[in-house]
Amino acid sequence: MPPPSELVAPWVEWERRVTKGRRLLEAGTFALTEGAIAAGCRVFAGYPITPATDIAEYMSKRLPQVGGYYMQAEDELAGMHMCAGASLGGLKAMTATSGPGYTLMHDAYGWSITNEIPLVVVDAMRVGPISGITGAPGQGEFYIARYASHGGNFETIVLSPSSVQEAFWLTIDAFNLSERFATPVTILTDQVVSDMWEDLFIPDDYAGLDFVVPRRTNLTMPFFPVGSDAIDVPPNIIGRGTGVCVSAYTHTEEGYDIEEMEAQWAQTHRLVNKIRHHRSELTRYETVGMDDADVVAVAYGADARTVKTAVLEARARGLRAGFVRPITLWPFLDDLFAVDRHYVVCELNYDGQLVREVMRAAPDSRKVHFMGKSAELHTVGEVLAALDGVARTGRIPELPYIWTEVR
Amino acid sequence: MNPLAKKYLRPSQIPTKACHGCGIGMIENWLLQAIDELGLKQEDVVFGTGIGCVGRQTFATWGGDNFGATHGRALAVATGIKLAQPERRILVVVGDGDAASIGTSHLIHAARRNLGVTVICEDNMGYESTGGQFSPTTPAGYVTNSSPYGMVEPSFDPCDVVKAAGATFVAETTATQWHQTVKVVKKALQNDGFSFIHVRFPCNENFGAYALGTRDTLKNLEWIYEHTQGRKADGSETDFTWETGIKHDASNSRPEFTRLLREMNARVQSDLADKMAARA
Ligand SMILES: Cc1ncc(C[n+]2csc(CCOP(=O)(O)OP(=O)(O)O)c2C)c(N)n1
Ligand code: SF4
Repeated sequence: MPPPSELVAPWVEWERRVTKGRRLLEAGTFALTEGAIAAGCRVFAGYPITPATDIAEYMSKRLPQVGGYYMQAEDELAGMHMCAGASLGGLKAMTATSGPGYTLMHDAYGWSITNEIPLVVVDAMRVGPISGITGAPGQGEFYIARYASHGGNFETIVLSPSSVQEAFWLTIDAFNLSERFATPVTILTDQVVSDMWEDLFIPDDYAGLDFVVPRRTNLTMPFFPVGSDAIDVPPNIIGRGTGVCVSAYTHTEEGYDIEEMEAQWAQTHRLVNKIRHHRSELTRYETVGMDDADVVAVAYGADARTVKTAVLEARARGLRAGFVRPITLWPFLDDLFAVDRHYVVCELNYDGQLVREVMRAAPDSRKVHFMGKSAELHTVGEVLAALDGVARTGRIPELPYIWTEVR
Repeated sequence: MNPLAKKYLRPSQIPTKACHGCGIGMIENWLLQAIDELGLKQEDVVFGTGIGCVGRQTFATWGGDNFGATHGRALAVATGIKLAQPERRILVVVGDGDAASIGTSHLIHAARRNLGVTVICEDNMGYESTGGQFSPTTPAGYVTNSSPYGMVEPSFDPCDVVKAAGATFVAETTATQWHQTVKVVKKALQNDGFSFIHVRFPCNENFGAYALGTRDTLKNLEWIYEHTQGRKADGSETDFTWETGIKHDASNSRPEFTRLLREMNARVQSDLADKMAARA
């Protein structure tokens, strides 16, 4: 009997509805590009970097075919700001990069978040710090993606796919959420999902995808519903003579700069609560064996693939093992860790990022175990050994290249 | 009220918070005159700014659509807006820090692409909203709050930079040249391509006080006037002279960048349609 498993994501239903399409063997970068085109993306502005370069190349080919614009920006600061400008002008936009370029995007993030500009940012993570190893996967941007700008006073939405097919649907989802929540949405993918070739189903008719949230435009005051937590508010447009003002400063409903406690409060209320109060709209995850598991392996992105295989193998060997793969990384899905049991958190960094959130969410942080690795996915054997060790002794045994210390 | 202000500006946002006697408001008035003489309406122009006195004091004063980018990024944002709204004139009003220091790469590449925007670089020869440090346009030797022993670095001329990069209209004026400025702004706005106008003006509070030793507007304007003429009031030569006027006019000589992209799209789409038809 296979263990009960669950995938909670809007594309479960989309896949049932879309029957006409093509089956291809394609790369993750191709799926991310096609997902964006299907979602109505008409501007890509970025700067080439491994392993996101192929997205730029695919975009340079695809966008002109659908009347869109490919911009090879002078750097990533320009790339994301161009996307923000294009989105303000009424076109859906996306940029894609990897760690070194991602770091340069922070002021564009802050500007886009404050001004409630919908757009999508792909970060194909590679191992670091800084340039690290170009062709190796990493998961070092879990926190950076959440705290994508200085200054605080905002929430962010971050999603992570673990297969080529999922990269396609999730990109559409990311665009939908960016429109609905009027904010940049980050796709944290990694070198493996980007470069890997897999089966990919893509619909024949993108125009007929009724689950794609279209771009709407707000033509009247208030331009910024400060003080409100409402979602599905149409974003502003520049260039239609509405008189909208968009700036880097704390703003009023009109968009004017203001230096007042009251305005700071109202803006923060908006930027934080439009996301916090609608968390349920953002729940996406996959689980296996959560009914009876004593020890649960946690992983996301490409790394979740070998980890899941290990969990299934462990169960076949009689261990009560479970698996959690958060697809929504932020806002963090605390509820997945509500039950008091052992959690083995596998992630591709040695410092421990995801594990800290699991420690915070789980009832007993002493039962949260860290299994950090860098530059290569966890092997099935490593995860099996860890699950077995935790089940029997409450500890992860010593393994080469595995780091278990968090503090 | 000034009739131009009444026609184009946002009553709630004027007067600005600029210091008394600052040249920023005066130059904005000249921009309005040029816009008016060309018969443009509020909804024809998107007004973009950066950070700094020049950006902050003009942001949201324009009655139409406004954006105020982070420091240096106004031209990157303008590029995106132009892709989506090619019919709009985009007027980017920025300081020397924004244009010639933190945002220089965007300036150069917008010029290279011949992006259809008009950039007005209002140059007060320093970073004034942070209290008067030197910038890449501060004349060598002058004292500022971060060059207490005189500016050691040589300065550069942003007009030369954008001209070399491919701008199709480049002009320089100063805050003592009202009619000249209006004339070149009008020409700039009629160029369907990248136009750059460099306007020097005095900051009384900082550059005036520390480099020139006075916060008196008239004295500071006089210093600007003398360096525009190359002669002081007593007839002696100034330490250097700014060459003002039109530096380069190749208006409408090469296609505007987003037009090139649209033309490429039309070509790609028609080739694709031909291919589909051949296959069917
Ligand atoms: C990224 C960044 N660095 C530094 C600053 C601080 N800062 C604000 S305005 C300014 C100087 C602006 O100089 P300029 O563009 O010449 O405008 P001015 O104030 O002289 O009109 C600086 C350095 C900032 N806001 N953002
Ligand atoms: S500090 Fe200088 S540039 Fe800024 S508003 Fe005052 S006078 Fe004008």
